[in-house]
Amino acid sequence: MEVWKSHVRAALIHRDCLQKDPFSGLFTKVSSLEEMLSLHMGVWEDLKRDRIQSPNTNGVLQCSNEDTNPPKLYVQLKEEQQLRQKLTQKVLDLTSDLYLKEADLQYCHSQVSRYRNEAVLLARGACCLKNDLCEYEYKLECQSKELAALKLEQRTLREELAIARQEKEELLERWLEEKKEEAERINKHNAALERWNSYAGRLNRRLNSGSRRHPRPATNNRVIQRDSTDQPSPKHN
Amino acid sequence: MADDKDVLRDVWYGRIPACFTLYPDEVTDREAEPFYLLLPRVSYLMLVTDKVKKHFLKVVKAEDVEEMWFEYEGTPLKWHCPIGVLFDLHASNTALPWSITVHFKHFPDRDLLRCSSSALIEAHFMSTIKEADAFKHKGQVINDMQKKDHKQLWMGLQNDKFDQFWAINRKLMEYPTEDGGFRYIPFRIYQTLSDRPSIQKLFRPVSSEGHALTLGDLLKELVPDVISQDDDPKKYQVVIHGIEPLFETPIQWLSEHLSHPDNFLHICIVPAPSD
Repeated sequence: MEVWKSHVRAALIHRDCLQKDPFSGLFTKVSSLEEMLSLHMGVWEDLKRDRIQSPNTNGVLQCSNEDTNPPKLYVQLKEEQQLRQKLTQKVLDLTSDLYLKEADLQYCHSQVSRYRNEAVLLARGACCLKNDLCEYEYKLECQSKELAALKLEQRTLREELAIARQEKEELLERWLEEKKEEAERINKHNAALERWNSYAGRLNRRLNSGSRRHPRPATNNRVIQRDSTDQPSPKHN
Repeated sequence: MADDKDVLRDVWYGRIPACFTLYPDEVTDREAEPFYLLLPRVSYLMLVTDKVKKHFLKVVKAEDVEEMWFEYEGTPLKWHCPIGVLFDLHASNTALPWSITVHFKHFPDRDLLRCSSSALIEAHFMSTIKEADAFKHKGQVINDMQKKDHKQLWMGLQNDKFDQFWAINRKLMEYPTEDGGFRYIPFRIYQTLSDRPSIQKLFRPVSSEGHALTLGDLLKELVPDVISQDDDPKKYQVVIHGIEPLFETPIQWLSEHLSHPDNFLHICIVPAPSD
């Protein structure tokens, strides 16, 4: 039982121990004695009334039918009547309690039926959930396998990628090396071209100055021999 | 659960020993003896004091008899509050039996409602039950009941018949399982040191997150001063049916098991005894 519930239960018992139990018996006794006193007073009143109504010949009050119905018997009769009344009431109370208990039983049956239905519904729900769970577990297993395969593939691809990157680096190195060589070659060519141009310029100037001093023959062209090393090569990309 | 049914029985059969004495200024033919009575906590004063009236009417002069009313240490006792609430609120830390003074004159109209017959108590009781059911089920359960069921509730209380009363009252305590409790908890908080007669507010038994709320949650929201800090001495007692439930008690369970027959949870806040 929960702590708070057992606390309430214990506190109620303790409360009754303090407030109800010490007084209950005493108060019930006082009440029954008062009841008895009231009954006896009533009997006494009745007897007194009877005496007043039937005085004897000397005018002295005396109990009517004293011999046949003495006060003691009358009191006993009244007590018995009261007891019978109480017992009748008790029987009535017990009968009504019986009806209530029967109704209570019916209610309990209806509650049992209600809770049974709820339990059946819950069991069905649980069954569905179990099936779903099995299905999900199977799916999870499949997906786990797929994941493992994909992870393996990923690892292979990563390794391939690393190799490809390495190759790319190497190719880049090679390309840069080649570019460097090409640049050097172009630079060399440019330098030769520059020299060639300067040489051609000088030759042109010389030719021009010579023709002014000696007129140039019309059909005889001079062939200028060139050094193969001085001639610029065609440009390659 | 069997234990829970025991709690209902203990609540129903709670008794307070009382000693009724006639107010000294009342004119009597002879000296009035005190009258001793075990008062049911869940009932109403005017419903269980017929014998008291009969006892004192024997000595009070007929011409001086007006409406009977009760007082404890100068405080007129409201008949429309359950007896247990009156005791817990005004006399919980005093010696027993509870000493109540009986008056037949000078009715305090400013403090008390007049109660001419038991029909008036019945009307008050039924209207309170309807109010409580409006909180719990929008009034649907009490409205769906037949007249004889209403009568059975009242007769159960009037004749102190636990089974008779609970045969009907259990319907008022039902709720859909999926809701986890009533719509709102019918409760009233009484404080001795307050001018307000009682505090009421709409309070759900389950939080928006779906967990059960407790007595502590209710008090924290409505009367936060009552909850003392860890190192502070306890200043107040939170009393229901003469006991102090733990603050972690779910309010829904309290409403189902510690409510009065009027279906309200009456919570008394009284100063803690100094000793």
